Amino acid sequence: MEACLAVEKDVDKVLTKFESINDHSNRVLSELVNQLDDLKNELQNAPEDHVLTNVQQELLKQTMTKVKDTISRLATEHRDLHSSVSKVGKSIDRNFVQDFAACSREDVFNSAEKIQIINKIICQHYYRQGMHDIADALADESDINVESHEKEPFTELHHISESLKNKDLEPLLAWATAHHYALEAQNSSLEFMIHKLKYIELLRKGPAYQGDAITYARTYFRKFVQRHEKDIQTLMGMLLYVQNDITQSPYSTYFTSDSEMWLEIYEMFIRDACQLLGVCVNSPLITCINAGCQTIPALLNIKQVMMQRQVTGIWKGSEELPIEIDLGTDNRYHSMFACPILRQQSTKNNPPMRLICGHVISRDALQKLCNGNKMKCPYCPMEQAPQDARLIYF
Amino acid sequence: MADVKSLEHPTLKVPYEILNKKFRTAQKSLDREVSHVQQGVGEVEKCLSSEGGVKAKDITNLLGNSCGMVEKLHVLKRKADESILEELTAANVCKRRLEHLKEHATVTASNTVSTGTLNQWRKKRLDRMVVEYFLRNGFYNAAIKLAERSEIKEYTNIDIFLNSREVEKSLASHETQKCLAWCHDNKSKLRKLKSTMEFNIRVQEFVELIRKDRRMDAIKHARKYFPSFEDEHLVTIQKVMALLAFSVGTTLPDYAVLFDMRRWDKLIEQFRQENYKLFQLSSQSVFTVTLQAGLSALKTPQCYSENNENRNPACPVCQEDLNKLADPLPFAHCSQSRLYCHITGLPLNENNQPMMLPNGYIYGEQALEVMAKENNGQIICPKTKEIFPFKKVEKVYVM
Repeated sequence: MEACLAVEKDVDKVLTKFESINDHSNRVLSELVNQLDDLKNELQNAPEDHVLTNVQQELLKQTMTKVKDTISRLATEHRDLHSSVSKVGKSIDRNFVQDFAACSREDVFNSAEKIQIINKIICQHYYRQGMHDIADALADESDINVESHEKEPFTELHHISESLKNKDLEPLLAWATAHHYALEAQNSSLEFMIHKLKYIELLRKGPAYQGDAITYARTYFRKFVQRHEKDIQTLMGMLLYVQNDITQSPYSTYFTSDSEMWLEIYEMFIRDACQLLGVCVNSPLITCINAGCQTIPALLNIKQVMMQRQVTGIWKGSEELPIEIDLGTDNRYHSMFACPILRQQSTKNNPPMRLICGHVISRDALQKLCNGNKMKCPYCPMEQAPQDARLIYF
Repeated sequence: MADVKSLEHPTLKVPYEILNKKFRTAQKSLDREVSHVQQGVGEVEKCLSSEGGVKAKDITNLLGNSCGMVEKLHVLKRKADESILEELTAANVCKRRLEHLKEHATVTASNTVSTGTLNQWRKKRLDRMVVEYFLRNGFYNAAIKLAERSEIKEYTNIDIFLNSREVEKSLASHETQKCLAWCHDNKSKLRKLKSTMEFNIRVQEFVELIRKDRRMDAIKHARKYFPSFEDEHLVTIQKVMALLAFSVGTTLPDYAVLFDMRRWDKLIEQFRQENYKLFQLSSQSVFTVTLQAGLSALKTPQCYSENNENRNPACPVCQEDLNKLADPLPFAHCSQSRLYCHITGLPLNENNQPMMLPNGYIYGEQALEVMAKENNGQIICPKTKEIFPFKKVEKVYVM
């Protein structure tokens, strides 16, 4: 924020100065033009062979000096603005990081093959966002082939989610019915939720539709009895109150929290559909870029510190980032085991080992702690043979 | 806010450079018009101070006719208005971008309501980055469409890229006019950058003349343009001049290179780079730099486990394409263990103890208890499908 404000202050200064010079030049120049026009007219109206009087000569001379002075002052005034303009540039350089690319490697992403992968990722991202025109334009210009089976599911998903926003359930219902078995395998209750919502919508229409509601329940709820017995009981209970006002009944919550149910079904659909397609719920590109925006400031900082201490050498060719970046719990997707002795992440060559006493250390640490054929656990008094430690998998 | 500070330098610097350029041209044209008017004033003064009587007719002539002083003053006024207006527009672009960046700060400061607006802002940022990436890679249509669709046109540097597209196009069709005009426009800056663009273009023109077997014209061309470069490029000039002695089909590698058509592509590439430098754009796009950092921060050895057994469909780096992309990048740094149950995804801690099956696999206590209850005390390892009794499960302590 301070950075923006600092630059803004300078930009504002430039703006006011330009505005004032604009007014000023406008006024001064118009004045001059008018004055000269007057003079000209006066002289033009004079008789053909009129010779200027001394007064007229004097007046003309004065006007000419004035013109000369004013315009040269104007040019100088404008030139003096340069310092304010260049201050903006300096202020930007001072408040924002110029060399933001310092912490990345230029060579990694500039092969043609990598660029194509990136283009494909961007393309998929925009298909996901439902911005097909942009994805298509990109595919067109960058010569990438997005297989129709890669974009069609997203087209469909986008269509469904759009119609859900308009409270239209039909496309979703069609989709859920078509993917009945897959959804069931995933333990998804999406299909039941749809029928539930439709049933409630029928009841909402009033007593005249209660017959319809009962027929609907008979046709569709049967196949969900196994998993949703309790829910179905509740739904059937609602019928008791149809004649009276349901909103005054114990079931009122179902009728007042309408938009919540739509939202719930929307989120459920996105989650289940993404699981079905084997894609992340959030666009992976957004996740990556947000993570990157969080990472870069930290990397730039550490880089600067390393430059000051002249240890930049350890940056290049290193297998790991030099510092830990905390992206928050939402962005952790894997278990990470860091050896508590060596403070290093475990790898294939240095896997976690469980000692007899249950404590876990890395294999390298274990070897270092060995004393002949014996070792003592660093956390408890137990002595044991190193070969008794077991390789474990997180 | 640190991210804005680290990533938005080009967002502001480019409009500043444009403002600066506008300022220079404005100053130039002001100076020129001022000197014109002053010239007129001088004539009038001369006339006034001439011996004997001064005739009104002479003065009106000097003031009034089509190239008279009054007219010149009008031109000055018009030019001044126009140029200052342009400067104001350029400065306002800076201002609007700053305001957009400030929105981010206000959104993050009031963290109670606005995860939605924050995400919206971030989405716009991604779109801005992608537009720039598109422009750098020459996907102009996609860039324009995207900028219009997400209403970020004024926050992106589309205009300067569209200008450079014209130059690139003309170079691609082996024309040099536009590029030379560009060199001329930015002469002083290019000189400061020690650019070899103009020289390389002149050399290419020379080569093309020889290719067309207009050797006399080539010599004339060389006489006209090469001397101004002799200080820095004498060796190259000597070598290029030697081309006069060779036929186009020469097989001598040193000279055949000069006839290579791919030199045009190199010129285009050079032009791109110099144009970036002119506007102080980095040679890498913000998008790729950020993507690289983000992939590194998310990359774990698990994403590259054998048989992909530890892949998590929710993890971006485990996605096929991003996985390939992240391969050469460094892993995230981790000095503190962070363990999650593979079955439930819940963190492993004192409330959900990590437990080891006899085959060495670790899962959360809660998940194993539920599984044991459902399967009469049997545990099926989800990864190896081996079956163990719940009693064989052992505790694990991770510090």
